[in-house]
Amino acid sequence: MNLSLFVQQILNGLTLGSVYALVALGLTLVYGILHIPNFSHGALFTAGAYVAFFIVGSLGANYWVGLIGAALATAAIAMLSERLVFSRLRDSPPLHDMIAAIGLLLFIEAVAHAIWGADFRRLAPPYPGIMRVAGTVLPIQRALIIAGAIGLMVALHLFLRRTVTGSTIVAMAQNREGASLVGIDLTRVSLITFAISGALAAIAAVLFAPINLISPGMGNLVILKAFVIIILGGMGSVPGAILGGMIIGFAESFGAFYISTDLKDIIAFALLVAILSLRPQGLFPAPAR
Amino acid sequence: MLRCEGATLDYGSYRALSGVSIHVDKGELVVMLGANGAGKSSLFLAISGLRKLKAGSIRLGEHELAGRKPSQIVADGLVQCPEGRKLFPGMSVLKNLMLGAYVHRNDPEGSKPILEHVFAMFPILREKQHDTAGSLSGGQQQMVAIGRALMGRPKVLLLDEPSLGLAPLVVKQVLAAVKAINEAGTTVLLAEQNAFAALKIAHRAYVIENGHIVMEGHPDTLMGDERIRKAYIGA
Repeated sequence: MNLSLFVQQILNGLTLGSVYALVALGLTLVYGILHIPNFSHGALFTAGAYVAFFIVGSLGANYWVGLIGAALATAAIAMLSERLVFSRLRDSPPLHDMIAAIGLLLFIEAVAHAIWGADFRRLAPPYPGIMRVAGTVLPIQRALIIAGAIGLMVALHLFLRRTVTGSTIVAMAQNREGASLVGIDLTRVSLITFAISGALAAIAAVLFAPINLISPGMGNLVILKAFVIIILGGMGSVPGAILGGMIIGFAESFGAFYISTDLKDIIAFALLVAILSLRPQGLFPAPAR
Repeated sequence: MLRCEGATLDYGSYRALSGVSIHVDKGELVVMLGANGAGKSSLFLAISGLRKLKAGSIRLGEHELAGRKPSQIVADGLVQCPEGRKLFPGMSVLKNLMLGAYVHRNDPEGSKPILEHVFAMFPILREKQHDTAGSLSGGQQQMVAIGRALMGRPKVLLLDEPSLGLAPLVVKQVLAAVKAINEAGTTVLLAEQNAFAALKIAHRAYVIENGHIVMEGHPDTLMGDERIRKAYIGA
């Protein structure tokens, strides 16, 4: 076995895993609050990429301005979806939320399609160079993805564990009525959670876009995999989302290289079936509510 | 201090509360007796703003509570320690208690003496303050729940079945704590199935059946009532 090729696969796995974990983190946070899988989360990923494409490609701004603009705009879209759609369905059966979420996904995709068309778009990497790591090459964009994801995960962890506002999100996920009875406002917590999930999805998309392409359907496969990840990791579990993201990222990168590139997307779902038949509660079930 | 008038609550076509009128005066400890499903928890959840009344009013002092958000009601000074405790199981005991003081988050200094008071009342919580709440025994969890409610600095404290599922010795300890909290100046409304023990510490009592208040009176009167003895005391 060639060592530098092996290291290459590790780096690829980390890159993919970072993107998946960021998307899955937002999904799992919203699941903790809403108790429904938010299918429209994939559209936030798409929206983030297009906002950055607009800011960088059409307005000619700097990549980082595009990244921050996309995070803010997508956080706003996510908050708007909470206000206009999900908060109004709070007392209805979960099925209604799911249908609404799918509707929202199709709506946002259609808006992107109407404005930018079905063509694939490219976002140029801010630093097109490469760097050498352990005898192999690593494009700087991939290093940015890995470093960015790790930075955001640490920041999110500190936010949830060390700040009062972060604790209210965790409290609301662990016991909604208990949280209301100590005076935590459900609306405020929901809005903050949706904003964070939107921003994380957008940042993941903008980091990923330079090594991928932008299209209206780009969020679909990512969101399906994010679901696989939070099911694997345990619905609502933050460490589970990170570890699950890495497992899927590594499985895809090694699977594509050592088995077949054509099977890359099947691997995530095969893994889902395999792990769930052995451990139906997921790898890290969230604490009982 | 707390006054409900004609409180009516429906769950779909099922009427959980029909025209419930009760009052708790400042400094009182009032017990609400009733069997499972009689409407105790529905009334408590409505007072805390977690269920919407169909009709009637709930006033705290001069404040109308019906229609206010649960978070505002806590800030107004009415705090509930709910049935089933509803703790944050994955968080430490200390963090559960600190979140109890969430509405006073801009006054952390003011919460310190209350935390000390809670630890003095339940010394085991000081020992276990860094353990997760979910790892504690039922009795200890109930102590966390009462402590968490006290951290909200209640003027009126609602306690919903604090003795449910606890060992007899722990029940005694919990009810003694409730009495002490009331004697320290907090107005208390206590729902209990353990009628005998509850009536011993109460100033006044109500009996609720099928969403109606069917009796009100001094604990001694209720204790002497044949029907009450049969239904709730079993003697």
